[in-house]
Amino acid sequence: MDGIHDLGGKRGYGPVDVNEPQEPFHAEYEGREWGMSRTARASSITIDWWRHVRELIPADDYLNRPYFDSWAQTDMAAMIDAGLFSYEELESGVSTTPPGAQIETMDYDAVLKHNTTMASKFDRPVEAPPEFAVGQNIVTNAAGHAGHTRLPEYARGKVGIIISHHGAHSFPDDCAKGIETAQHLYTVSFSATELWGANANPNDSVSLDLWEDYLAAK
Amino acid sequence: MPSYDPKKITKIHQHLHSHLPSDPALRVKALETILVEKGLVNSENIDRWVEVYADDIGPKRGAHVVARAWIDPAFKARLLKDGSKAVDEMGFTGPASGHLKAVENTRDSHNVVVCTLCSCYPFAILGMAPNWYKTAAYRSRIVREPRAVLAEFGVELSEDVAVHVWDSTAELRYLVIPERPAGTEGMSEDDLAKLVTRNSMIGTDRDLKTGDV
Repeated sequence: MDGIHDLGGKRGYGPVDVNEPQEPFHAEYEGREWGMSRTARASSITIDWWRHVRELIPADDYLNRPYFDSWAQTDMAAMIDAGLFSYEELESGVSTTPPGAQIETMDYDAVLKHNTTMASKFDRPVEAPPEFAVGQNIVTNAAGHAGHTRLPEYARGKVGIIISHHGAHSFPDDCAKGIETAQHLYTVSFSATELWGANANPNDSVSLDLWEDYLAAK
Repeated sequence: MPSYDPKKITKIHQHLHSHLPSDPALRVKALETILVEKGLVNSENIDRWVEVYADDIGPKRGAHVVARAWIDPAFKARLLKDGSKAVDEMGFTGPASGHLKAVENTRDSHNVVVCTLCSCYPFAILGMAPNWYKTAAYRSRIVREPRAVLAEFGVELSEDVAVHVWDSTAELRYLVIPERPAGTEGMSEDDLAKLVTRNSMIGTDRDLKTGDV
């Protein structure tokens, strides 16, 4: 969807503040939210649906509230939607249902070990052969759609060249609707002049990872 | 189960906006409190996750990957071919390392990584993303005017050095392999890793310094 999250190429955002503390967490709540994201995300809430819920945060909050606050907001909205708790329970901090089984406490080494199991794979077997080949020119869809998609606005209706093929991966546009499908995924390179016009440096490029539905032969 | 209904989500966001306190710390606390009440999280485990990502898992892991690639051409070939397998050899598999792609800087080319649509980042080898990586300023501008953004980081590139921007729109995550600085022949992997900055592995730093090892 053409939401506030689709920031690539948008004008009007200021210089990047390159100076910040080296510490991984700049406030305690950032660490709490990070820890919750590692342990508490319900399995029915897929990454694609979660990203879509985040994209739907009202634009002024999306731009102006801190990053981990937007994760918390996304968790709360997705979990309320999925029926994990109610507004009243969230606002009061009191559960109205009997507690479930408590989660086992893990020590430092157990968490470190568990971390190694979290490299999710998104490649999926499909029967269809790839429609495009490395070295082929393609053109991306000019129109977007109202749902979740990973073709940014700045790369729509543009001609690029396929530089690698990754087999088929879960297709976010469907998965964000609860429909598990997979499609061939390609890395597509676009010249800066194709994306931004003749004033861009002709040596420069931007590459994106794009699914077959986003592409047509050129 | 999720509703997959964007209209319902918009209503929930609006409700939360007007009913929860504004302070992010209080909002995160409210979430943790109800998840503990429901038996969905264990606060002690959250403490451990914070410690693990403060102490063990961070950019020093990526720096070791880069240093090994500099001194071991066979490892570098494996890293460029299949980044996920190569970091697994080093025991660094973790969140967002499942489809890892390493891209290499040369004299004539510079790579820089972004996620314009959210803020995807290779946590397993670089740890927590810096704040600037998640800002609208970086996400909007790095694809359109990468040279201007890089200059803000102190990276001045001549016009004939090609800039390649990688927008992480799928589940591939990118690691930039910076150039090995001159005069570092014979240095150990541990010492070389100390030269590799986090920003150089994202692409907002380029010429690594050799002092203070």
